[in-house]
Amino acid sequence: MRVTDRRFALLLMAPAALFLAAFVLWPLVRFVSNAFYDISPIAGGPRTPVGLQNFIDAFASASFQGASARTVVYTVVVVVLEFALGLAVALIFAALGRRSTVFRTIFMYPLMIAPVVAGLLWRFLLIDNFGIVNELLVRAGVLQSADQVGWLSDPAIALFAVALPDVWLTTSFITLVLFAGLQTIPGEILEAARIDGARFPTMLFRVILPLLRPVMAVALIVRGIDAARAFDIILIQTNGGPQESTTTLSLLIYRTMTRYGDIGLASAMGTIYLIGMLLVASVAVAAIWRPGEAR
Amino acid sequence: MNGIETRRRSTKAILLVLLAVILVLYGFPFAYLLLTSFKPPSEAIAVPPSVVPDVWTLENYTAALSKEGVVPALVNSVMTAVLSTLISLVLAVPAAYAVTRYRTPSGRVFVLAALVTRMVPTIAVGAPLVETMRALGINDTSFALAIAHTTISLPLSIWLMASFFEAVPDEIEEAAKMDGASRIGALWRVVLPVVSGGLAVTAIFTFLASWNEFLFALLLTSVRAQTTPIVIANFQTQFGLDWGAMTALAAVYSIPVILLTLTLQRHIVAGLTLGAVKG
Repeated sequence: MRVTDRRFALLLMAPAALFLAAFVLWPLVRFVSNAFYDISPIAGGPRTPVGLQNFIDAFASASFQGASARTVVYTVVVVVLEFALGLAVALIFAALGRRSTVFRTIFMYPLMIAPVVAGLLWRFLLIDNFGIVNELLVRAGVLQSADQVGWLSDPAIALFAVALPDVWLTTSFITLVLFAGLQTIPGEILEAARIDGARFPTMLFRVILPLLRPVMAVALIVRGIDAARAFDIILIQTNGGPQESTTTLSLLIYRTMTRYGDIGLASAMGTIYLIGMLLVASVAVAAIWRPGEAR
Repeated sequence: MNGIETRRRSTKAILLVLLAVILVLYGFPFAYLLLTSFKPPSEAIAVPPSVVPDVWTLENYTAALSKEGVVPALVNSVMTAVLSTLISLVLAVPAAYAVTRYRTPSGRVFVLAALVTRMVPTIAVGAPLVETMRALGINDTSFALAIAHTTISLPLSIWLMASFFEAVPDEIEEAAKMDGASRIGALWRVVLPVVSGGLAVTAIFTFLASWNEFLFALLLTSVRAQTTPIVIANFQTQFGLDWGAMTALAAVYSIPVILLTLTLQRHIVAGLTLGAVKG
């Protein structure tokens, strides 16, 4: 009976496993192996093995270094803003109890919107001359004229401006995860802290956040990974410009592959990126998730 | 009632006001998109811009829907998302069931796959997939794109379904088997009805992932199977900067899924939190 049960289980898992092997693993193996070749962009063109040359070229290229730095900045900006805002809203929801139900529903809506739509929408909001954001800032007296701040055209601030729609789009995710986590904190623990005379900041940092650690880990890791590979939301706003100031790694890899046709170099960049992600994510999982601790 | 809920009425009032301000800011972008979609095209790009339309019109909607390729793209989006949902469920349900019921060590591979596929830049899988689809002779079809979208949602679907199967007590199945049901029969007739809510959540997630996806669609389709996000993105080059029509199409594309998910809100929270916490 045991053996047949095991076989039955394997049989049930086989289709999904084969699918992932054929359409994720195999393409990925091909992608990584491409990094060791010089590949002609013409279909059926020659493939010349070049060893580690593509990796050397990638590390030496100024655009790769720049894009790597921008990817880190973009990810940190998005995750920090989202986390601060998301946690604040989750705490307000929790403090309001059942009265927050309607608000929670409304707050969820950006999660359903396509990143392309969000990117275009924010580009529309932030455009220098007829964008509503600058217009409202002028009416509020913050700006003197509508073209004073070029959110997406000033290389100094464009990278931060393109991050706004991502924050807008997915803060709800952090709020939902943290709110659900807050529900699982036993009331007695907070009550005990309250009786001990703990004020809210103490409770937050000493009691609530430590208890939320596993949930925070899920929220931060998932969002960190997603922000680091943001593509369409940036592409649609600035196409990587002005002056490369918003070209993150995913855009650079895409451009190297499609526009410059250098498949080998693009694959090397992608491989470095993937290894970097795996390293950072493993460290993050080990540092904040601490699996094995009681959940 | 939870431990954090405040009891002081004054605190509650302040928090409600604060929340209202945040929600207005949070809701404004989409509200402005909707308002703009009802302005005449010239007013949509007027300097200085207005918040509320001076003249209300459906001009942008008729313009957007009559543009070449828009209606086929909407059809393609539905087709691709439905296909991807079906493929994903057919593959994920048995796999997730096996992982939870038989606890095979190989089941962990799926959890790992779920994490790793999320880290892989889409382009790394997308570019070689183009060649695979060409070799299979299904390049530029909704089916090929649905397969690509399933690579994103399948690991997540297995993860989600596993967390729903986890909640089903073993006894239900044992009873069915006592009555002479086969293992497949017990899964199909007894367990699946119990997790139908979970199936719905997983289906919605797969659908949304496909509906909103951009890069695979950009790489794998050219004319026949093009989905709406690509068409929306092309609005800026192909038709000049027609912001009015763009806002209309964006509204047409977003509102159905927003309404659908808001009505099913309660069921979806479990999915949105990736089953990380049982909400």
